[in-house]
Amino acid sequence: MNLSSVVVLVGIAADGWLIAFMSIRGRRPWLQATFAACALSFLVVGAWSVGRIEGLLSAVDDNLVLGLMLLTHALTAILVLGLIRGAALPRRRAATFLLLAPIPLLAYFAPIEGWTVATAYEGNVLGGFLVVCLGIALGETIYARQASPMFATHAFWLSLGVISLIVAGPIYTYELDFLGRTPLAGANLAAPLALACFARVALQTDPFPISPRPPKGRTTTGGIRAADAIVFDERHPKYALRTAEQEANSGRPTLIVARERAKITTSGVASAAFTPDQHAASRTLTTVSEFLASAPGGFVVLEDLADLSVLSGWRAVLEVVVRLRHVARDSGSTVVLCPSRLTESERKALKGLDLPWWPMADAATEIMAILAQSFGTGAGRLFDSFCRAHGIRRDDVTTDHIQALQDFLSRALTELSGVVGGPAAHGLQVQYEAAASVLRSFASQGAVEIARGKWASRRSSESDVDLVVTAADYWKGKEMEELFAAADAVSEREPLFEKARLVFVEQLGDAGEGVLRMQLARLGKKPEELDRIDLVRIADRATVDLGSLADVVDVPQEKERIQQQIESIRQKLELIAEGEG
Amino acid sequence: MDGRLRALAIRSLFLFLLSLVLVAGFWYHREFYQIGFTNLLIIGGFVTFLVIWAARLAMTGELPRGRPSGELAFTLEEGDRLLKRVARFVVRPSEGLGAPAAGHVVRAKYETGTEFARLLIEDARRAFLSDLTDEDARQAGFRSAADLRDAGTSRWRWHPEDVVTILRVRALGGTR
Repeated sequence: MNLSSVVVLVGIAADGWLIAFMSIRGRRPWLQATFAACALSFLVVGAWSVGRIEGLLSAVDDNLVLGLMLLTHALTAILVLGLIRGAALPRRRAATFLLLAPIPLLAYFAPIEGWTVATAYEGNVLGGFLVVCLGIALGETIYARQASPMFATHAFWLSLGVISLIVAGPIYTYELDFLGRTPLAGANLAAPLALACFARVALQTDPFPISPRPPKGRTTTGGIRAADAIVFDERHPKYALRTAEQEANSGRPTLIVARERAKITTSGVASAAFTPDQHAASRTLTTVSEFLASAPGGFVVLEDLADLSVLSGWRAVLEVVVRLRHVARDSGSTVVLCPSRLTESERKALKGLDLPWWPMADAATEIMAILAQSFGTGAGRLFDSFCRAHGIRRDDVTTDHIQALQDFLSRALTELSGVVGGPAAHGLQVQYEAAASVLRSFASQGAVEIARGKWASRRSSESDVDLVVTAADYWKGKEMEELFAAADAVSEREPLFEKARLVFVEQLGDAGEGVLRMQLARLGKKPEELDRIDLVRIADRATVDLGSLADVVDVPQEKERIQQQIESIRQKLELIAEGEG
Repeated sequence: MDGRLRALAIRSLFLFLLSLVLVAGFWYHREFYQIGFTNLLIIGGFVTFLVIWAARLAMTGELPRGRPSGELAFTLEEGDRLLKRVARFVVRPSEGLGAPAAGHVVRAKYETGTEFARLLIEDARRAFLSDLTDEDARQAGFRSAADLRDAGTSRWRWHPEDVVTILRVRALGGTR
């Protein structure tokens, strides 16, 4: 057998393997289909070439193979364009298939003009089309290498693939022709190398796994309908996540992309966690792009821009932001960006993009300001008592904790009822009700209202400017000290169930409370009967039960995440139990 | 086997295979090169140039990860901990950090300016200084988060609300 035939046959086997590999590992059906079509056309042309050289397939119509050869070149250009542009312009990727339009025409004229496979790269319209296809692919990769910080590494591999096709295609054909040898009849020896390069890029830019799978189709529901990328400026992305929950509750397909997968929620928010490598930025782009292509009008929160910056570089992240803005506008969707933990220079660069910039209030600061309006300078002490009672840090407090804070204050007042009486008790009750009302009003505000900036902290700082001692401070006397002492006492006697519930909810989301109640039911106890020994037993049982859940998960990252959650629950429950001992 | 010897063996094997491919290529195209001295000079010279270039990159450790970019300065103790693989995390202020993205190699220098290693950045993340955990600190070679904060406070005068970058690194070898 001819050496060229052996090389082409090995290439065919490699092509087949790559098709199977991409079909199994890929996450973008449109790209997998394009890759399979391209690789199959190379495979068939290669098989025909071997058959022709070895004298096995002499009867096959030469025009059919010429058509396939045209396909290989056009599909190569389409595949490369799809890899480079497909993520940013999901709704326009079909336009690249216009490159297939001249093929029937060229196939029609081939027998008339006497074009054959052997003379395909000669200086005629057919040869021109083939060279233009490879030229488009090469030109795009060179442009991407120069212009795109995010895609530069991928562009290198694409260039390698396209150049190898050019060397083993037209250049090798010219060489054989120059030496008076018979050309390879359509086969391209570099096809496996080129396809391997394309597959590498396709897999390195594949979207992250999304779970749970969001509903598909266009949607017009949701509270924030701006078709744009919006920056939610907050120290921790609390309002961004809360808004995502609200949008999902209204039936809008919602996705959170973050360093770590979002906690389990009942609102159906889909989440994707990015892998810690240099391709995180480009994969984030394709993840969001694919999500919004399947659910136009959706809502996406990109939580950890800062982590993307250190993983892929800030220039790549800026490019992702610009492209996401195009995707959002193109699909009528909203993308929320969280600039938490960005450096000052990065924030400045982000502001330079002129994106809608929504300043968000910090829940802890606002709660403190609201409490200060009623309880004066002792608000900090009250708030700290609450945080201590619930085992949370100030930074972790969100508007979701406001109900618990009201309950806490209410219990502190109840504790006081035996000590403070008469007008003082009535005054405290009035103060509490005033604070609770403002707290409720604050908690009910959505991101849009908050972005308008009517915050308690701003109002109080404005009103305090002219007064050294506020009227509220002046009025408050001894009973305030007693309230603080009562709050401290409440923090010590906070029901164990509440503490345990917060641990479960923190790790497992809304479903956490259900898990805790199930464990309680197994023990045959009511929430108020929970003691520290029960807590240890619950920690052990939850470890076993959730551990068996982790065992059936096949995805290593998911398994690791669940195990971390289990470990965290166990440790925190044991800490609470020790604290009670 | 020592890490450096293993790296040398792999690089040498790579070069040997490349040389084999080149010889096979010359043999396969022998008729083409017979057509004239000029062709052989230009094409053969270009291919040989590429081989020498690749060899240079391979021998300096710049293949397959590329040239190192950026640099990180360490105290003698920190550098020692990294080389002995006692520490794997490097915690630095985020503003003005001269480290490349994950998957790239950065030069590790002592504060005196001497390069002592090249570090592969395996992972990176940002955190508020106040959010650093004891586990982060232990991975960075400190006993607790408080120790790490104290060390950083004297060196960079940082505050709890400052943002730091936590790099997970692996030393690739000695100075070249």
